[in-house]
Order: sequence, then structure tokens, then C-alpha cells
Amino acid sequence: MIGTRPYEFMVKYTPQRDWIEGHGILIAFALFFGGIAGGLYLVSLYFDSMWGMFVAWILAMVTGMTDMAHLSKPMRFWRMILKPKSSWISRGFIFIWLFLGAAAIQMAISYWAGGTAAETVFKVLGGIMAFGVAIYSGFVVGYVGAIKLWNSAIIPILFVIAGVTGGLALLMVISVGDSILSTDVAVALRAVLIGYAVCLAIYLWVATYESTAARDSAMRIIKGNLAPVFWLLVILLGIVIPIIMLFASSATAVLIIAGILVILGGVALRYSILKAGVYSPLVPSE
Amino acid sequence: MRWGMAIEQKRCIGCYECVLACKAEHFLPPDIFWNRVLIGESGKYPAVTKLIYNIRCNQCADPACVKVCPTGATYQRPDGIVVVDEDKCVGCRYCMIACPYQARSFYEDGNAEYFPGQGLTEHEKIGKTLYPHEVGVVQKCVFCKERIDAGLAAGLTPGVDREATPACVIACPTKAIHFGDLDDPYSEINQIIKEKKGKAFHPEYDTQPSIYYID
Repeated sequence: MIGTRPYEFMVKYTPQRDWIEGHGILIAFALFFGGIAGGLYLVSLYFDSMWGMFVAWILAMVTGMTDMAHLSKPMRFWRMILKPKSSWISRGFIFIWLFLGAAAIQMAISYWAGGTAAETVFKVLGGIMAFGVAIYSGFVVGYVGAIKLWNSAIIPILFVIAGVTGGLALLMVISVGDSILSTDVAVALRAVLIGYAVCLAIYLWVATYESTAARDSAMRIIKGNLAPVFWLLVILLGIVIPIIMLFASSATAVLIIAGILVILGGVALRYSILKAGVYSPLVPSE
Repeated sequence: MRWGMAIEQKRCIGCYECVLACKAEHFLPPDIFWNRVLIGESGKYPAVTKLIYNIRCNQCADPACVKVCPTGATYQRPDGIVVVDEDKCVGCRYCMIACPYQARSFYEDGNAEYFPGQGLTEHEKIGKTLYPHEVGVVQKCVFCKERIDAGLAAGLTPGVDREATPACVIACPTKAIHFGDLDDPYSEINQIIKEKKGKAFHPEYDTQPSIYYID
């Protein structure tokens, strides 16, 4: 609330600042890394890419480190697993730790004892935890009733789809040396990008009808101060151009550029949604 | 027992005495406010209304901040007061995000002085010893729980006896702020809320605030 003039706080929608300004920008990256880590592991399981799983493991580690970097008391991080019954941050932190453990064991088994029942068991466990890592960030923001744009049942779904989209894009970049795999991933990415665009459109459309605060936030994204970020980075560079590129060609350079654009769009999506979150005025008189 | 407040807005003259009393009581650092007086206008000429709201943590009966806290640092006492255990807070600020009333503050700059560049005043020096605030954690109004606890231990009644009543309540020169037990149907505060039709801010959030405002 510091930085907001009292009068504005009373009668106007005031943007949240704690999770986007200054140190708070790390939250946008934590949401992004969580989504892409979970998504990449899931699609790597599907396409059986060991490199993808390994990079997903690294990204899950980065998610936890980014979360911790945002804390003002990082040495107390272990306390964050103490309230899984009520707090989504707590649940997410547990998902990350369990994923790191399950995925590490799974990769070791796949490497040294592939084809065994144990590998299947740990792939299932790793997959469940990866899904948890991908979806928890959606619930972290979705649970916040005070910010109506975030308080939506669609947002966990959107974040999972965005995570899978980013995961496919990253897997496509990782696997450019394997033309068969990268082409298969590109085909999947084309379809998922369209689904992602539809989900995003539904999310924003619903937000304009949910409440005046959600509508205010949605308008900031669609035609307000966040419109350049949203239309240029999220929609044009993150969705439209990659779809066109992937339909037009499957050349290595095209796949790499399209993949990087999708990943950048994913970062911009989290930034836009966090930045657009506003609180209702204290006195709803105007 | 559930402590609560009723604030009569027509009695509030916007003198900020409650803000200063809170600052002095808890030796609050610069830029940290556990309660605020918001003054503004509403409407268009000639139908203009002056707005004065004295706001602080609503000590909600079903607080969003307690639910989201991943460490249990924010918790609710049996008497309804929501407090932050500074030793457990990790500074993730999820509670600040979740509070629909934006009633929490983050203590970021431990070196801030009331008179920048001139060193700490005697009051600030004493405060750092008597009421040390941990840097990098979230803070909020606690209904002066120290006064309530000490008062109850001495057989006093919060809201009635000055020594057991929050500093902002006893500092108010117009007696605009009332304090008492919301669970006691015969308490003065419940009578005031009932007779004068006290309303809580944003009941739609379902947090059941313990502070009522009377137009």
C-alpha cells in the first residue's frame, strides 16, 4: 500500500505491487519456471526424452530457488512445508521437493535399469508430482479472493496449458538434433498453442463479466497499460507467429526461433496477469 | 470471546491521534502504519460527501491471511486477534496479497530514520530496545494485544478500563472508536453496532471482519 495515495486507495482500483514490483518480479519467474518444469517433464514422459526430463528437473530446482530468492528470510525456507492443509505455497513447495526426488530416482532407474516395473512406478509418481508443480502456481494466485482477476477457476487450467506449451517449446528446442522427435513435438505444439489461445481468450472474456474489479484488470491487459506486453509478447510473438512458423516450415532454425518465442510469451503471460491484479476500492462509492 | 471495534465515522474529525498513538505504543518505524486515517471526497458538486475512514487490520473471524500463510507465522488467537510471529515469517508476502483490505505492512528498511540523515531520536533508540521489530517480515495491527493480555491478567476489562484497551481507542478525543467483546451480546460494542447499524467493509469476501463502521 506504500506508494498509493490514501484517496486513491479509498475509491479506486489499486494494483497489487508486492508480487510484481522490485523483488516481487521473481514471483512472475517462479510461476513461469514452475509451469514449464512440470509441463516439460510431462511432455518428455510422453515423447520419452531423457534430456527433456533432465532439463525439467533442473527447471524445478530453479523454481524452488526463485521462490526462495524472493523470500526476505530464505534460511527459514523449510518452514514453508508446514501448512499444506491450507496454503497453496506450502503445497507447491512440497510438490517441488517430491518431484525432485521422484524424477531423480526415475531418471537413474531409466538410465541404469530401463524397462523395469520400478521405472514405470517412478514415471507415474514423477508425472503426478510434475502435474502438481505445473498446477500449483495457478492455485496460488487463483485462491486469492481479494484480487478478482486471479480468483478464477480457469487460471489453474490456463497455467497448466501454458506450462505444457512452454514444455513442448523447450523440448522442441532441446531435440532439434533429432529431426523425427522435433517434428513430432512441433506438430503437438501447434495444436496445444491453439488450445492455449482459446483458454486465454475464455479466461479474459469471463473476467470481463465476473466483477467490476476483474473487468478493470482485464481491460488493463486488453487495452490498458499492459496492452503492448499482452498483444505483442503474449499473443503475437508467443502464439500467432510461432503457429505460422510451425505450419510454414520444420527447418531447425525455425523450430528454435519458434520455441524461444513461445517461451518468452509464457514469461510475458505470467507478468501480465500478476501486474494486472487489482484490489477493489475500500469504499465502493464511485 | 472475540474482540472487535465499532468506529463512528461522523464522530471522527480526522485528527490522526489514533495513528500517532499506535505509532508511539508500538514504536513503529517510518513508513509503517498499523492503522491509517483516510480522508477524501466522493460524488460531484453539489452532492459531495467528505469521507473519513479510520482503517486497520479487521481481525477477521475467518481470515484469508491465516489460510494462505505457508509457515503458520500468521495465526489467530482464541480471542480472534490475528497476529504474526516474526520468528516464523519468511517474508513471502502471500498474506499481504491475500488481504482484501490491504491492511498489512512489510518492514523493509531497518535503517530508516524519522529524520533522515540526523540519526535516531531518543524515542527511536528506546523503541529498538523495548519493542524491536524484525526487518524483512510482515507487520499488522494486533489490537494492542499486550495491553489486553496484561489488563485481563490484572482483572481489568478491555474496552472499559483504559489500561486494558487499545491505544488508538483511548487516544481518540471524540470517542469515535469503541472496543469490546463481540461474543458478549450485552457488551457496549454490540449494543452500538445493533442500534446504529454498524457495517463491515466488503462482507462479500466472507472473512467476517471484527471492525464495524457506523455512518
